[in-house]
Amino acid sequence: MQDFLQQVVSGIATGGIFASLALALVLIYNAMGLVNFAQGEMAMLATFTALSLIQRGVDYWIALPVTLVLAFVGGVVIQRVVIRPVERAPVLTLVIVTLGLATLINGLAGFLFGYVPRSFPSPFSVQTVSILGAFASYQDLGVIVVSAIVLVLMYVLLQRTPIGLAMRAAAHQPEASRLLGIRVSWMLALGWGLASAVGAVSGIMAAPALLLEPNMMQTVIIYAFAAAVLGGIESPLGAVLGGLIVGVTVNLAGAYVPGVGGDLQLAVAFAIIIAVLVLKPNGLMGRGSVRRA
Amino acid sequence: MTALRNAPPRYALVVLVVLFFAGLPTVVTSFQSLEWAGVLIFAIAIMGLNVLVGYNGQISLGHGAFMALGAYTTAILVHRYQLNYLVTIPIAGLLTGLVGFFLGIPALRLSPLYLALATFALAVVTPSLIKRPEGLTNGVQGIQLLPPDPPPLLSDVFSLVNGGQPMTSEQWLYYLSFAIALLLFWVAWNLIRHRPGRALRAIRDGEVAAAAFGVNVAGYKTLAFGLSAFYAGVAGSLYGLATGFVSPDTFPVSLSFQLLVGAVIGGLASIAGPLVGGIFTYWLPIVSSQFVSDQTWIPSQISAVFVNAGPAVTYGALLILIMIFAPNGVVGLILSGYRRLRDRLRGAGERGTGQMPPDHQTI
Amino acid sequence: MSNLLALEGVRAGYGQTRALHGVSLSVGEGDIVALLGANGAGKTTTLRAVTGGVRWEGSIHFAGRSLSRMSTESVVRLGIAHVPEGRGIITQLTVDENLRLGAYLRRDRQGVRADYERVFDYFPILRERRELSAGALSGGEQQMLALARALLMRPRLLLLDEPSLGLAPLVVRSLFEIIRTINEKEGVAVLLVEQNARIALELSSHAYVLEVGRVAVEGPSAQLKEEESVRRSYLGY
Repeated sequence: MQDFLQQVVSGIATGGIFASLALALVLIYNAMGLVNFAQGEMAMLATFTALSLIQRGVDYWIALPVTLVLAFVGGVVIQRVVIRPVERAPVLTLVIVTLGLATLINGLAGFLFGYVPRSFPSPFSVQTVSILGAFASYQDLGVIVVSAIVLVLMYVLLQRTPIGLAMRAAAHQPEASRLLGIRVSWMLALGWGLASAVGAVSGIMAAPALLLEPNMMQTVIIYAFAAAVLGGIESPLGAVLGGLIVGVTVNLAGAYVPGVGGDLQLAVAFAIIIAVLVLKPNGLMGRGSVRRA
Repeated sequence: MTALRNAPPRYALVVLVVLFFAGLPTVVTSFQSLEWAGVLIFAIAIMGLNVLVGYNGQISLGHGAFMALGAYTTAILVHRYQLNYLVTIPIAGLLTGLVGFFLGIPALRLSPLYLALATFALAVVTPSLIKRPEGLTNGVQGIQLLPPDPPPLLSDVFSLVNGGQPMTSEQWLYYLSFAIALLLFWVAWNLIRHRPGRALRAIRDGEVAAAAFGVNVAGYKTLAFGLSAFYAGVAGSLYGLATGFVSPDTFPVSLSFQLLVGAVIGGLASIAGPLVGGIFTYWLPIVSSQFVSDQTWIPSQISAVFVNAGPAVTYGALLILIMIFAPNGVVGLILSGYRRLRDRLRGAGERGTGQMPPDHQTI
Repeated sequence: MSNLLALEGVRAGYGQTRALHGVSLSVGEGDIVALLGANGAGKTTTLRAVTGGVRWEGSIHFAGRSLSRMSTESVVRLGIAHVPEGRGIITQLTVDENLRLGAYLRRDRQGVRADYERVFDYFPILRERRELSAGALSGGEQQMLALARALLMRPRLLLLDEPSLGLAPLVVRSLFEIIRTINEKEGVAVLLVEQNARIALELSSHAYVLEVGRVAVEGPSAQLKEEESVRRSYLGY
């Protein structure tokens, strides 16, 4: 039982990482009806940025916000330079462009930082603490807290501020929003910026456990896909919920289902994606039909 | 004779291309023949992807997985059951096609975006799925395949034109790939020109309208998936034979990307596109890394990294640039340039009567 | 009297097809001007040209300023509220959120709060429905929401595209009463596109009749209403 609880807690921690990346996917999906296949690679590049800062002696808690700001700017720039020219193109074109972006960023990171996995510092110790009879590591609890803060901040920004309102309006009905004076194209850029920053959090949280290298997020993005799809790809709340469910499920499956260790956990995520898409395409919290179907 | 003279110039072009590929092994080395076999194998897989993406508007980011299935089918049948490798090629194609057909059924219910997502996930999981049934696939060790000997008769004929040199197994693999590519391109070309092709394109351009015209939308979409997988399976089988070795790492996610890049760069919804795409995707990593390591002024540490990272950077950048500036790919670019030139030569009178470029804008 | 909005020889179209072939019209400060005509005459396109929703040539001036090459967002910021065809309600958001978007550009919190109260005085039903999803409103209520949201923009000119479309005659009546009141009390000029010529002529002081992208007839509304020939051939009642 105790072991079970421990698995759940560490599942929640991984779930928080998936949730952040899934939320990033949902942000861009809502802004332009697109799944950003480069989201994980963008997060990976941001994580390398954070590592470079930390290695130059910058304190972790300063490097983190600085990286998020840089990731935000990077996201905006990517939207302006790469996405805007094909904004009105069909989904197929957009998907291919984000795949190209993923490949490009992956190669770029390999070029700049090499392919040797690097350890990434964590401000949280790996010592454990007992809560309610289960032992959880400070590392896991720290990841949970940081993810929770980010998710709450995103919620407040989107639901409680005028700019968040304008972003939602622009996403739903760009033409009508323009007539209200909302600069729709910049709202899209803002969406990319925010998604990039939120994704960066997941990269930085994942790096201590996974070791940082250019392909680090390739598996995480699959879990994030599973989380976003499970939650209903247009629902931010669903993404968070989906992230937690996927995190816990994968962890438990890895621990208790014989044969599902290590890399086959990925197959569990794959199974979740297929099952949801076939059985309940709108996910847990999705509304109505999928856009651009 | 008049029939020949009146034939469109592209027939002459086809004949030239076929002659070029038929004669190639007599001018290049045996090893280079094998590399060109790789080009043709890529072209086959890309043609399969093109049927699905270009002509039918469905998307797959997981064709590398189908190639893996084809390759492992051949490897296992040859290695464990001592089957003749020639027999295993159609078996690999049919098995993969069947799997593709059945995967096409759930795919029917998915929007293009979700289909992209699901197939992408498939491509990512494939290597770890292959590792598991170790008794069958030999796990991470992979399976070795012996290079096949050329049939004696062919070898004799070849030595006549090749200055008495008998055919090597590399050259034989090249001709095998060439023959199969020729056959499969011909099949695709016929399919596309006739009723099934029209149905596929009608579905791509609007499912509701297609259904209203009596096209069996579900049937054709699953068929496209199956056919597309069949091509990938055959390509995978040849790929395994040509490389002589299959392992989970032979089929990374990037292979699926590479195929998509090929389809897009060559030009979606075109018959020549996959060949151009095959040449491109096969040679780009080799040529670009070769080029960089040849530049002595580049420090060796940097060029070593580029050999790893360079192709990805180039692929990614090209993919983005092509989508922004030439969404119809190289073939589309050449065609529209050719039309513009022809229109100019014939005068402005016929402007606007030209055929529209292949349109994949509607999915 | 200087014109608030002036169009001169405006040509516009969608792709290959031309919708406007040189339209000239003007709206004075505080005026209500009606733009009439059959389906496809170019009424909606005229409004869309003003707020940059369609490519156009010619000249459009608002308060003495050329609108040439200006984006929709920039035109709107000059003080033009455009209630488009289909009302432009963002149905996925609540009534209150839609209203807040009307005040999106404004920085005077005090003024916005006061305007909220006034808008609710005009449309009391919206106060009751504040927390509802805008998609749950009836057609008449959505039109009210669109008007209310436009008023919160504090415009100098209101462009209304067929506000009567799909509404019951009684609802149309009361809606047009409110438009008149708004015009009188707030001094907002209105350019009104309508198929319902009778009621539009009653409300407006001046009217233009479009026919296939050109102004066919224009004049004071009272006069157009009386002229038998105009009524017969263009207004169809």
